[in-house]
Amino acid sequence: MSKKGKIRVLIAKPGLDGHDRGAKVIARALRDSGMEVIYTGLRQSPEDIVEAAIQEDVHFIGLSILSGAHTHIFPRVVELLNEREASDIKIIAGGIIPDEEIPKWNEIGIEAIFGPGSSTNDIIDYIKGSAN
Amino acid sequence: MNKNEIIDKLKEKNIRAVARLLTLIENEEKEAENILKEIWNFTGKSYIIGITGPPGAGKSTIVDLLSKMAIEKGHKVGVLAVDPTSPFSGGAVLGDRLRMTSSQETGIFIRSVASRGHLGGLAATTRFMINAIEMLDNDLTIVETVGAGQGDVEIVQIADTTIVVEVPGLGDEVQAQKAGILEIGDILVVNKCDRPGSDRLARELKMMLSLGEKKDWMPPIVGTTATNGDGFDFLWKEIKNHKKYLGTDRKAEMRLKRINYELENQVSQKLFTKKMVQIGTNEISKMSKKILERKIDPLTAVEEIIRE
Ligand code: B12
Ligand SMILES: Nc1nc2c(ncn2[C@@H]2O[C@H](COP(=O)(O)OP(=O)(O)OP(=O)(O)O)[C@@H](O)[C@H]2O)c(=O)[nH]1
Ligand SMILES: [Mg+2]
Repeated sequence: MSKKGKIRVLIAKPGLDGHDRGAKVIARALRDSGMEVIYTGLRQSPEDIVEAAIQEDVHFIGLSILSGAHTHIFPRVVELLNEREASDIKIIAGGIIPDEEIPKWNEIGIEAIFGPGSSTNDIIDYIKGSAN
Repeated sequence: MNKNEIIDKLKEKNIRAVARLLTLIENEEKEAENILKEIWNFTGKSYIIGITGPPGAGKSTIVDLLSKMAIEKGHKVGVLAVDPTSPFSGGAVLGDRLRMTSSQETGIFIRSVASRGHLGGLAATTRFMINAIEMLDNDLTIVETVGAGQGDVEIVQIADTTIVVEVPGLGDEVQAQKAGILEIGDILVVNKCDRPGSDRLARELKMMLSLGEKKDWMPPIVGTTATNGDGFDFLWKEIKNHKKYLGTDRKAEMRLKRINYELENQVSQKLFTKKMVQIGTNEISKMSKKILERKIDPLTAVEEIIRE
């Protein structure tokens, strides 16, 4: 990344899930660490999210899901990124994701998952490390 | 994607290529300059609408509705939405897109831009970013400024039609009179007409306009409620009127003036940097010392440094 380059992250809330506290907390924390965060709000479809991520040329898509809908949203976002030849955009996620599922999601391309109580500093460090 | 790949894909109107070029431009990479040089001939074709006004006035919501309308009327639209960078962290939460969900469905291109410390309501590279988006063949580009204060009038240097959005309840008449941004509007919008005070604000604006100097184009005042679409047919009509008023001649004249101004700026900045490097900081500090010791006066010092 160049001197002037910034890490850009799209924070998205897919589906009908209305729990947006976590997404907002993360958006603010990333901003305060110097990143540019595009917050797209509630009720985004995987198609919306991938299109926005491409237009915004982000390094990361951050999915916040507390409703259980991750089981079909995760694979769909991965699939759409592949279709658009944009699989260099990394996916991270947070919310209510059962621990035992995490390896499975990592395998299909969700790079990292941060559940309730995760420290925002750990998340920032992870993103900064992964961006380089 | 390297330079040639980007250029090839730009010619196919590939969205990723445009998005990547935008990143290169905003990071002020040398690569961006090289690409811009090669695509320059394809750019400059869109009509540019600028939207400015105080924070939270409803700019993004208006952009969303206008874009949707324009698309329904057969236009192709690109949007640049600028939000402020935090002066403390250098980061930003770019929230304009949040309000642009209804036009998003139509496949419109929207790019959120952080001001990255640039003053004036835009980012330093906004002009070139518009050119990059024009590679998608859009005939309309809408630019939303950061929530603007009084000095943030840079948008007029870029837009063909500048829309200034005001809302009731922000302050009294006095504040409106001070606001330099009112003078730059080709169209004045009073948004949030569902709120009390909008009639009064419209009357005040009208009064201020009638007290100002008479111009060929007198800005119309349009009342809107962006949350339900009221007033947007009228707003669209006024945009078309202004476009017609500009015609090809006035528009070309206006754009020439801006290019001229911009070129002058760029040249003087480059010359300045070049000369400063030539002189060197050493020379400046040596001279400063002499001035302090009263061995030379500051006026002569400047002359001597420049002459060298
Ligand atoms: C507050 C809350 C609500 C509030 C939400 C307010 C709001 N605007 O956000 C209200 C009361 C509205 C609510 C409603 C409901 N809720 Co509720 N709610 C909670 C609760 C108690 C806390 C969530 C929260 O805000 N935590 C604080 C934030 C900061 O934490 P967080 O979101 O987890 O985020 C952290 C990490 O997960 C991570 N993270 C989150 N997102 C992201 C994104 C990225 C990119 C990264 C890197 C990290 C990351 O970082 C954050 C910081 O550590 C949870 C239980 C719990 N302990 O989690 C239930 C919970 C999520 N709710 C639940 C349910 C069922 C509901 C309802 C369906 C209840 C009902 N029957 O009506 C409704 C649905 C509402 C809707 N439309 O979606 C269930 C979900 C069960 C499931 N997934 O199977 C939970 C788990 C409670 C439970 N144990 O049953 N809820
Ligand atoms: N009541 C009412 N609310 C409106 C109207 N237009 C916009 N809003 C609301 O005003 C808030 C701000 O709207 P935005 O469109 O984000 O305003 P903005 O000028 O783009 O804000 P910044 O980009 O942050 O400066 C949102 O909650 C909108 O829903 C309107 O006509 N009436
Ligand atoms: Mg806005």
